[in-house]
Amino acid sequence: MERRDRTFVALARPRGRPGQTKREDTLVEQNTHDGLIGARVRRKEDLRLLTGRTQFVDDVALSGMLEAAVLRSPVPHARILSIDASEALEHPGVYAVVTGAEVKAAVSAPQPVIWRMIPDQLIPDGYPLAVDKVRYVGQGVAAVAAKDRATAEDALELIDVEYEELPPVATLEDALAEDAPKLYEDWPSNVSGSTTIPKGDVATAFADADVVVSETFRFARQMGTPLETRGVVATWDPYTDQLDMWLSTQSPNLARDLLGEVLGISVDKIRVRTPDVGGGFGNKFDFYGEEIVAAILSRRTGRSVKLIEDRMESFVANAHSREQKIDVELAATSDGTITGLKATVYAVLGGQLGTVGIGPCWTTAALMTGPYDIANVELSVVGVMTNRSPYGSYRGWGQPKSNFVHERMVELLAQRIGMDAQDVRLKNFVPPDAFPYGSPVFFYDSGRYADCLDLCRKSVEQAGWLERRDKARADGTAVGIGYSFHVEITAFGPSRILNMAGLQHSGFDEEVVRIDSTGRVTVYTGQSAMGQGVQTALAQVAAQSLGVALDDVTVVVGDTDTCPYTGYGTGASRAAAVGGGAVLTAATRLKEKVLRIAGQVLEASPEDLVVEDGRVSVAGAPDKSISMAEIGDASYRRMNGLLPESESPTLEEREVFDPANVAFSYGCTAVLTEVDTETGEVRLLDYLIAHDCGTVINPLIVDGQLHGGAAQAIGGALYEELVYGDDGQIQTTTFMDYLIPTASEIPPFKLEHMATVADHIPGGFKGMGEGGTIGGGAAITHAVEDALSDYGVSITSLPITPPRLLAAMRAGKDNR
Amino acid sequence: MTGKVTVTLKVNGRTYSADCEPRKTLADFLRQDLGFTGVHLGCEHGVCGACTVSIDGSTARSCCMLAVQAEGTEITTVEGLASDGNLHPLQEAFWKHHGLQCGFCTPGMLATACELLEDNPDPSEDEIREGISGNLCRCTGYQFIVDSIHDAARQLRSTS
Repeated sequence: MERRDRTFVALARPRGRPGQTKREDTLVEQNTHDGLIGARVRRKEDLRLLTGRTQFVDDVALSGMLEAAVLRSPVPHARILSIDASEALEHPGVYAVVTGAEVKAAVSAPQPVIWRMIPDQLIPDGYPLAVDKVRYVGQGVAAVAAKDRATAEDALELIDVEYEELPPVATLEDALAEDAPKLYEDWPSNVSGSTTIPKGDVATAFADADVVVSETFRFARQMGTPLETRGVVATWDPYTDQLDMWLSTQSPNLARDLLGEVLGISVDKIRVRTPDVGGGFGNKFDFYGEEIVAAILSRRTGRSVKLIEDRMESFVANAHSREQKIDVELAATSDGTITGLKATVYAVLGGQLGTVGIGPCWTTAALMTGPYDIANVELSVVGVMTNRSPYGSYRGWGQPKSNFVHERMVELLAQRIGMDAQDVRLKNFVPPDAFPYGSPVFFYDSGRYADCLDLCRKSVEQAGWLERRDKARADGTAVGIGYSFHVEITAFGPSRILNMAGLQHSGFDEEVVRIDSTGRVTVYTGQSAMGQGVQTALAQVAAQSLGVALDDVTVVVGDTDTCPYTGYGTGASRAAAVGGGAVLTAATRLKEKVLRIAGQVLEASPEDLVVEDGRVSVAGAPDKSISMAEIGDASYRRMNGLLPESESPTLEEREVFDPANVAFSYGCTAVLTEVDTETGEVRLLDYLIAHDCGTVINPLIVDGQLHGGAAQAIGGALYEELVYGDDGQIQTTTFMDYLIPTASEIPPFKLEHMATVADHIPGGFKGMGEGGTIGGGAAITHAVEDALSDYGVSITSLPITPPRLLAAMRAGKDNR
Repeated sequence: MTGKVTVTLKVNGRTYSADCEPRKTLADFLRQDLGFTGVHLGCEHGVCGACTVSIDGSTARSCCMLAVQAEGTEITTVEGLASDGNLHPLQEAFWKHHGLQCGFCTPGMLATACELLEDNPDPSEDEIREGISGNLCRCTGYQFIVDSIHDAARQLRSTS
């Protein structure tokens, strides 16, 4: 356990932008594109994926490889009295069994918690498998390596664990009860820590307010649920100490560093490779105990060990997210100006802290003002341990809850003072001339929120939703329209500022762009591919910057031995912005060298040269030209007389980009919905997002990200819930219980785009992987409330399941 | 589990024979014993549809069948959909319309879409959505998958 004394440092105004208050050039429209940046091109990744020529982690097969399985706790809270694995060890085909105590003895450090934003937070030492005590159903207690998975699972049944059960702390209320059983007996309570983000003078704001609106919101446990579960193939050579990991991760460089920390070896001994990754959504950003278990089993057996989580395990072993209770109070004047916001976010953490600790819940508080300029805030977060699975990363990372809170509060304020909610939004938006804008924690770089809201409303009108609603209502059907407005933090982020916020890692990005001896281009990136199209996006940036065809660019990802270092990992909507920005700079510099070489050969000044489709020519004299292939040959092979004496051989540039600031994308979501007033079932009829993520690299990819993000918002708003019983047992362990929306539940999507560039990122890219997920819950809720306006329904928790909605309808009627 | 049984079946036009434990699923047999790793396992309890293959002309979830049950059948996996270096019109359409992101659901989605278009060459959007509602995709939000199938249907109708 660790106690820390560190004062929270409010994040400083980004350096490099002294005195800047208004920048007209942040408002530059970039809606027209004549090059590959902004082109709707099909993806380079797809041919392999479409024809089954992929290699996901479970497809990795090494000679002599063993397969492992983990024995998991069937009880939520218990002391481990003994573990007898002798029978399992005797089982034919079993090579090794390890227990939690043995794993603890074999590691140098507990599982890392990299986000530490609360001074004095109690951070328990967690190990890959439980030691002495189990604190959630599904926590690993022992693991087996055997000739195949089936044999390993057979052997699990032969391990005898004796538990002394303790009373479970099943819920937030259980955990905070005065006489609550304690998960960590030497702690004063189940509270891991708390902190408050202040701004302005909240007491005066509330004392002077014309209106105060209070509400409590609850969010169910959910998870990212990539269709491919997590997995690892570890080869740890007992003689050379070389550790070779195939890992389905979004953060190979981070994983390599954390493997080194935990296993006590230097990172030069560690290679992390990522095969094809079948969706990440944050779940595969985090660093799990299974990675360590597989490595230790490999070292013990002297063989490669594969450990693949099966789906049922994933419901307890994969990071859980979203679960929070938030108490909110909003102060306003009678004209709708929001003057103060107070909130306490109760983070319903699990039995152990995950890789990102309380990070997502802190972000909920840090970004709770959303797009609104609120002068006085007091935003607190309280981390509470419960006997549930550890809390971790999931797309949106706290922001869906911030968004739900500020959008619900805006609507509640509007109802209270009899104003249109859109007018309340417009009145309180950070105005375009206020950027860069200092929110309670982060600086927002640029935005035109009112324009975006307007774009969304116009599109809704053009789509005929108002008429559809009127007609449906005339026919007696409950149909409604709802809106939300979101901001999304992207381009994560300035390393030193992230360190100040408590991150034990960096946020820069490094990219290498190389032209080879045949004139073809390879980009080496530390960013990870998990289906989001990062190879295509970076290839587009490199191709346009160099003046070559897209087909001439290859992007190499997923190997710490050959690819450069990126801080953090691929998450927080950073790959397009920091990766794209770094590739653009590296490629631009490389192009300068190409032009210098071509200038010598063509006897022309580099300034007079143009590069198009892989050929350098003298402007105005197209027959005087040289191909990129010839320049490549001259740079690597036959250079005499071609490569200038002043130039070194090879064509390669490396760029390290640590952004001066994060960036903020934003959008407005509108939803048309129908509610069955008999059953409480919500059906989405139409869905629209107006969105701005700065310069778009590939509209096809951006659209796909918005669709997919919105589908996860819909799942989170209506269907998905990891349910725990009062006994601390999880009750949702299959796709029959945890409802991922299908094509029948998801409506058609319509998108509108605008582009306000990030002027601190080369290329103006902002990133946008999470936007669709953030704004959906509130918009759906508002559409449901609008559809049920006759019932006076007030929705304060997600997901809106039919029984909950029927109860809210009854309560609404009773209140009238 | 000791006794092994021999399973003989045809995959993508070629006959294979291999020994396996009677408890082995068809999905594991295709993946591990025959090397058809285009068959993906997303849940192993018959909900997600990623393991969908075509067996004797009908789709089936290979995670919910035992290999021994497939004795003597003819199976098509995603590896057998394209031929002679030419993509199937559905594969072309998925590529063009961005009908995939991580690609993990794609083999099952393609198998289901193939069968859908054989049964109904001109499906409406609602029919497509219903037709693929047994296949989960966590990345795309389905819109571009629906668009892809729509376009492939048009292509297939115009060439048949």
